[in-house]
Amino acid sequence: MQPTDVSRDPTLPGQPAFDEETPFATMMSLFDEAAERLHIEADLYAILRKPDREVNISIPTRLADGTLGVFDGWRVQHNMGLGPYAGPFRVSGDLRVDELRALAGWTTWKCALANIPFGGAAGGIRIDRELHSPAVIELAVRRYTSSLLDVIGPDRDVFIPDKSADEQFMAWMMDVVSMHERHTTNAVGLGKPTVLGGSRGHLDSIARGMRTVLGLAREHFKLGSDRGGLRAIVQGAGSVGGNLALGLVEDDCRVVGVSDFFGGLYNPNGLDVRKLHAHRQHHGSLQHAQGDFVRMSNEELLLQDCDVLAPCAIGNVITPRNADKLRTKLVIEGANGPVSTRADHILEGRGIPVIPAMLANSGGIIVNYFEWVQNRTGEQWPEGTVHMHQKRFLTEAWQSVVKSSAERKVRLHLAASMVAVERLANAHRLRGVYA
Amino acid sequence: MSTGTAVSPSMSISKEFNPFEAMAERFELASDHLKLDQGLRDVLRTPDRELTVAIPIKMDNGTMRVFTGYRVQHNFSRGPCKGGIRFAPDVNLDEVRALAAWMTWKCAVVDLPFGGGKGGVICTPSELSQGELERITRRYTTGILDILGPDRDVPAPDVNTNEQTMAWLMDTYSMHVRRTTTAVVTGKPIALGGSKGRAEATGRGVMLIAREALKKMGLKPEKTSVVVQGSGNVGGIGAMLMQRQGHKIVSLSDMFGAIYNEKGLDVPEVLAYLKANRKLTGYSKAGAISAAEQLELPCDVLVPAAVENQITSANAERIKAKLIIEGANGPTTANADKILEKKGIMVVPDILANAGGVTVSYFEWVQDRAGFFWTEEEVNTRLERIMVDAFNAVEATAAQYKTSLRIGAYIVAVGRVAEVYKLRGNYA
Repeated sequence: MQPTDVSRDPTLPGQPAFDEETPFATMMSLFDEAAERLHIEADLYAILRKPDREVNISIPTRLADGTLGVFDGWRVQHNMGLGPYAGPFRVSGDLRVDELRALAGWTTWKCALANIPFGGAAGGIRIDRELHSPAVIELAVRRYTSSLLDVIGPDRDVFIPDKSADEQFMAWMMDVVSMHERHTTNAVGLGKPTVLGGSRGHLDSIARGMRTVLGLAREHFKLGSDRGGLRAIVQGAGSVGGNLALGLVEDDCRVVGVSDFFGGLYNPNGLDVRKLHAHRQHHGSLQHAQGDFVRMSNEELLLQDCDVLAPCAIGNVITPRNADKLRTKLVIEGANGPVSTRADHILEGRGIPVIPAMLANSGGIIVNYFEWVQNRTGEQWPEGTVHMHQKRFLTEAWQSVVKSSAERKVRLHLAASMVAVERLANAHRLRGVYA
Repeated sequence: MSTGTAVSPSMSISKEFNPFEAMAERFELASDHLKLDQGLRDVLRTPDRELTVAIPIKMDNGTMRVFTGYRVQHNFSRGPCKGGIRFAPDVNLDEVRALAAWMTWKCAVVDLPFGGGKGGVICTPSELSQGELERITRRYTTGILDILGPDRDVPAPDVNTNEQTMAWLMDTYSMHVRRTTTAVVTGKPIALGGSKGRAEATGRGVMLIAREALKKMGLKPEKTSVVVQGSGNVGGIGAMLMQRQGHKIVSLSDMFGAIYNEKGLDVPEVLAYLKANRKLTGYSKAGAISAAEQLELPCDVLVPAAVENQITSANAERIKAKLIIEGANGPTTANADKILEKKGIMVVPDILANAGGVTVSYFEWVQDRAGFFWTEEEVNTRLERIMVDAFNAVEATAAQYKTSLRIGAYIVAVGRVAEVYKLRGNYA
């Protein structure tokens, strides 16, 4: 398996595909800026910019009709400076290797910032879940896992779930590795069902982490709450947005806006979040929910008056087109890259702090990491222990970002990237270049 | 952390000043108390394995030079071997052997699941470039790779090696085994799996042991005056932590001389002065005295935390302290020991008193294996528990066998290794 020379790869998106930036371009531009400001040596910079290794495999799979389908699979291992690789596994009909590269890079920086001894990775299979039966998907995942056996393992590379591949996928992967190893090796896939060694508290770990970070930010930016608590708008109602909205009610906040795929609901006096959540659990969406609110589009919801705006759905929703119209005091990114780089600059000019996803949603990978620790030691922590440790990691990360931001006089996004890049560069300097 | 500062046997003037002879003598005494048979004594005395490797290196000027390196694994019945790697021109196999044995006893006395090991490369680091040192480290590591590993042998820094050396070793090992293996070495930078609290570990251990010993003697920290020989990682940090406990630190020293103020020194201020001026002499709030005078000052506690052979048959009679805590390795000679015992001065031996360093090295290994890192408070709490337990075990053993704490410590250590050996039996 020869590592690919990424700089010569024409498929690597150097230019944004459209007018707006892709999350990958956002990542790269931030990293370039961070490295430049840190005066990282050019040769070291080259190491950090390229994935360490990319494995490309073909996955022959017997389909439901008896014929053979051959699918493409990848695992991109971005950087092993700090420890084993870890990163998402994704299943999608239009999966592209450059999207995995971006994801692997993001994970490296996120782990470095959270002080987790992992490097970033990302992988997946290009297969459409709508077109194939669960049995075929399972076969493909098992074949994918066994083709990667030489480069994965608890000390080499561990998988974490993605929106497209839930805990069932982690269980299959862990089973394949265990059968080959001749012993149960549950630390190879994280975010597993609790019965197979999954960590307690992993289902709402991102939302809980965001609440911790928001608490720290409120104190830091002295965001006082008027009567009825801080007014928050949460875009997205899935495991991140939904759990966040539910949790915020307990944190002296008033959730004034929520949304899902079908649109947003807004009431400046606050929404009955528990009732809306129950409705969505039962009906699958907020489309026909009843209550005291105004309906509007997702785009309009982002522009409503509030104290905290939490985009937790998809990337690139806050762009130069709407950044100067936001009426919030703080943005906290729940999704990966909802605020584009140019929008981030506009918000900086307006004095609206943006807490980057790299920090704000890292509660998820932190609890994934705890699962790995628990699997290695054979323990299972009580939920309270998971929460306590998660709080400590996030608090330390928050403090390092705030310090970096104050000392270097840069916005939070860049400050966070600089902390991460500096840590990884330092690890590489210490280790040196082998042979 | 330096785990052994003893000079090589060839440099000693007489038997009294050879710390390895002294150690061998103490081992024999402990074995007598334990009534070990001759065969078991031979097993425990002999290193399990010794490896000598040639280290060919391309020098910066393009020529090739071949250095010699050693790794001695003294005894691995209690667990993987643990011990430093030193780079020095006078490294020799005899010295490395003796230091490896020393590590076996030190690890056993604080009950760490480690055996003793030691390694070294014959070279003069001051004459080598950073690149040459890196290549020596990597080639040496490759040479001993088969006997290294988190479950086999875990090196640490020693004379002329540091965090950076350990990082190179860890990287070389990791590339060979195809996975990042931080637990193969300790004393790493925090960025690569090092432990919090390591820099002050030995000094903290000294403070804890002093506290426990004084408790036994019925003395309160606020009522004791302390003389510290040394002002580095062990002496300086030890003095600072002891002052925080309420002790009055009346004297500190460095390689140029000592300072004394019977009313007590402000240790952080003295250390800041030392850092700025590179020597203690000239510090205005204390008088200057000689190194020899310092040891004989009136005080309650004397902490020799610099080099070996400081308290000898020549000055032991004039020591006024009630308690001696050996921060350095081998500061008291065997002859001096006898005089101090007669005078009723309690001596807490090096293998117990300065074991705080290797204990936090052990914590680093534990944290690396789990992949989960403790807060500094957690490290300190666990260190305290281990040091207090070890002190109590040594104290009880010394009382049981009616012997000094030093021989008590050796009885505990040799007894623990012998017990494990008997339980495991002789393989094949």
